[in-house]
Amino acid sequence: MIRFALRRILAAIPIGLLVTLGVFALVFAMPGDPLRELAGDKPVPPSVLAAERAQFHLDRPLLVQYGLYLKDIVTGHFGETFDGRDIGEQLRLRIPVTVKLALLANAFQFTAGMLFGSYAGFRRNGAVDRLLMLATLFVLAVPFLVLAFAAQYLFGVQLKWFPVSGTADGFPMSYLLPAMVIGLLSFAGLARVLRTSIVETVNSDFVKTARAKGIGEQRVLWRHILPNALLPVITFIGIDLAGIFAGAVLTESIFNLPGLGQFLFQAIQLKEGGVVVLLSTLAFISFIVINLIVDLLYGVLDPRVRSG
Amino acid sequence: MRWSSAALGLLLVPALALGACGNGKSATPAKSKSLTIVITAEPNKTLNPENGNSSADIQVAEALYAPLVETDPASGKLRNVVADSITPDATGRTWTIKIKDGFSFQNGQALTARDYVDTWNLTAYGPNAWKNNGFFSKVDGYDALNPTAPDGQTAPAPTAKEMTGLEVVDDHTFTVRLKVPFSQFGLTLQYLGLAPLAEAVRKDPKAYDHKPIGMGPYKLATDEWKTGEDIKLVKWNGYKATAPQADKVTFRFIQNGDTAYNEFLAGTVDSVQVPSTKKNTFKTDAPDRWLVSESAGNIFYFVFPSWDPAYAKPELRHAISMAIDRAAFANLVGLAKPASGLVAPGIDGQRPDACKYCTHDAAAAKKLFDEAGGLSKPMTINYNSGTSTGQTYAQAIGNMMRQTLGIEVRYVGKPGSEITDLADKKSLEGVRFGGWGHDYPSIEDYLTPMFKSNGDANFSKYANPKVDQLLAQGDSQPNPERAIQLYQQVEDICLEDMPLVPLYHIQDAYLAAKGVHPRNSRYTGVSPLWSTIDR
Repeated sequence: MIRFALRRILAAIPIGLLVTLGVFALVFAMPGDPLRELAGDKPVPPSVLAAERAQFHLDRPLLVQYGLYLKDIVTGHFGETFDGRDIGEQLRLRIPVTVKLALLANAFQFTAGMLFGSYAGFRRNGAVDRLLMLATLFVLAVPFLVLAFAAQYLFGVQLKWFPVSGTADGFPMSYLLPAMVIGLLSFAGLARVLRTSIVETVNSDFVKTARAKGIGEQRVLWRHILPNALLPVITFIGIDLAGIFAGAVLTESIFNLPGLGQFLFQAIQLKEGGVVVLLSTLAFISFIVINLIVDLLYGVLDPRVRSG
Repeated sequence: MRWSSAALGLLLVPALALGACGNGKSATPAKSKSLTIVITAEPNKTLNPENGNSSADIQVAEALYAPLVETDPASGKLRNVVADSITPDATGRTWTIKIKDGFSFQNGQALTARDYVDTWNLTAYGPNAWKNNGFFSKVDGYDALNPTAPDGQTAPAPTAKEMTGLEVVDDHTFTVRLKVPFSQFGLTLQYLGLAPLAEAVRKDPKAYDHKPIGMGPYKLATDEWKTGEDIKLVKWNGYKATAPQADKVTFRFIQNGDTAYNEFLAGTVDSVQVPSTKKNTFKTDAPDRWLVSESAGNIFYFVFPSWDPAYAKPELRHAISMAIDRAAFANLVGLAKPASGLVAPGIDGQRPDACKYCTHDAAAAKKLFDEAGGLSKPMTINYNSGTSTGQTYAQAIGNMMRQTLGIEVRYVGKPGSEITDLADKKSLEGVRFGGWGHDYPSIEDYLTPMFKSNGDANFSKYANPKVDQLLAQGDSQPNPERAIQLYQQVEDICLEDMPLVPLYHIQDAYLAAKGVHPRNSRYTGVSPLWSTIDR
């Protein structure tokens, strides 16, 4: 298992380099001069501009810039953003915010997905099953922005059940509403996966055998069907958890949560290659790690894929 | 299958943990004489006023520091705050600044002339790369602190650390010698980005980025402002000039304007600026709790390329200006006033009827346009693709051109900095939009940047020796009234030459809680910090 993990990690390194270089090249290719954009229409003295350009390696060619940023990341010298924020400090403050949001959102997604998915799976074509199908379509049709602002207005402004925005009320209060919105928008997909998986498992031979042996219906459900049906769900959750970063950009903006999503958005807006490379490296690493954990867990749960 | 149920149990834990979550409660707005003001921007990176020039930076600096002078919100005239007197010599080149006795920093250090001179030298020192460096480019000796090099080469190290133009006379007096006379220099001194730093701060500015030693009406309520938190201030009793009413001020940063707006509606904050998305609904969303600024302090233009012979005839430019329905355009922009000159309302010397060609007259415009020979090619309108409104505005103007003048129009979207770059190289094809917000409330600041040859914001690359000469005369005219007359002559010439067309001035809208009345002056705009509080 350790060899398997090591092999995966080693294989991830060149992919990671390629991905971050690609992202950096995209940022590099974005039109406009970031430092001048930052200044708006106001003139910037050439001496200040030159000092800033040198500080952010902007006077170097693409590959050299990328190399320098990578060196900064590896050596832990994150430096400052274009507008002078300490990047290390920003990460320290922002990572917990995004992690809390992601975990809570996934908890909601998972709870709702499990409940509805398993119920729909066992009562195929029943009311819940059809409702779920409808909900999936609805969620696909409503833009996240609309739902998030609607929830904020209803539960924050009108009913005052939750704070409108910000992290002043701490965890979990400040995170509940945004996490629920994310959960609401993503549980349906999970529920559909689980439903399909259960439907397949219920009809498989070993379940029929179990029933034929006279094992009780409850025991068949909890010991035979669910554990097997859950396998694809774990993969789904792994990918989803790693992908939460993308969703964080919008959620954190609307609910004013100072997390990595906001940071990434600002960095892209300001065409800040160094920060974008750093954040995409972080996203990549978390993606690899989570998927590695999922794969290892898979081996634990399913002896068939437990290979050397 | 023993593993599986254990794993299942593990995965269910977060779902159970949720049962522990409490019921929602919302923060109540701070009552009494305290204010929570939303700043719709990223949090400041530093509380060093010399290293910040965004409106967020200046808003916070206004609470922590005091300016030398300020514009009286009631009369629009300049009055002293920290300064005792500010006197130019006969040419307006050397300025003597005396500061009042009794001002001090919040660490107890008395405020002296030396604090201003040393702080300004620190800011003007190029390698520090502080944001307000550019302010001092007018001062004698600035260039030695900011050597330049041709593109692609590294600039040499500065040869000096102090500007020769700054001199301490005594504890309360210092002089500023400029490169060339500048009669408006006194007005520029109200900028809060010029606030002095205490001696301790000057020794190690970075260490004080988050624990400023101010000299203004408020100080930090805590030892240090932590990144990611609100900026909490309390009144400082050592402040010797008039202070705002609030005992406590909290600045909260919410970048998303719509979110900030919702926070206000939920009653958790006392004041918020209305985002552009709510321009049509704020009066019904918060009846009796909104206000619109009387002044604007900015102007937006439609800019001609002076390098393109197709637009060479002034009559053609007049015709295009007259083809624009400014009232309709301002209506489209929302919360905007149509422009009728080159100077924003509320500025000393502004004349409401300065522009002869800014009244919409379709028939006259068409006639004039044809007499001038028309446009030899389609009109290309460039707009900033980085804004949500750029394309809409371009099409609105474009439709007026097509319908009134019967010409073909093309639209090109580009990032703002690319448009600026192309225009700087005089290779931009077609017309574009431009805008200016004044740095100090002077008619001169609406003219020099845009119309002086090589001006800082000379969008159309306009150059006219007569304008340069009149600006120089105004700059060296110590009598304010006579200086204004000279500047008005410049405005007349520029409106006749019309290298760019004034379009509109933007007004600000704010929401303020019941019992909180932000100051709304026709000269200085809306200030939530200077609210009258009666609750």
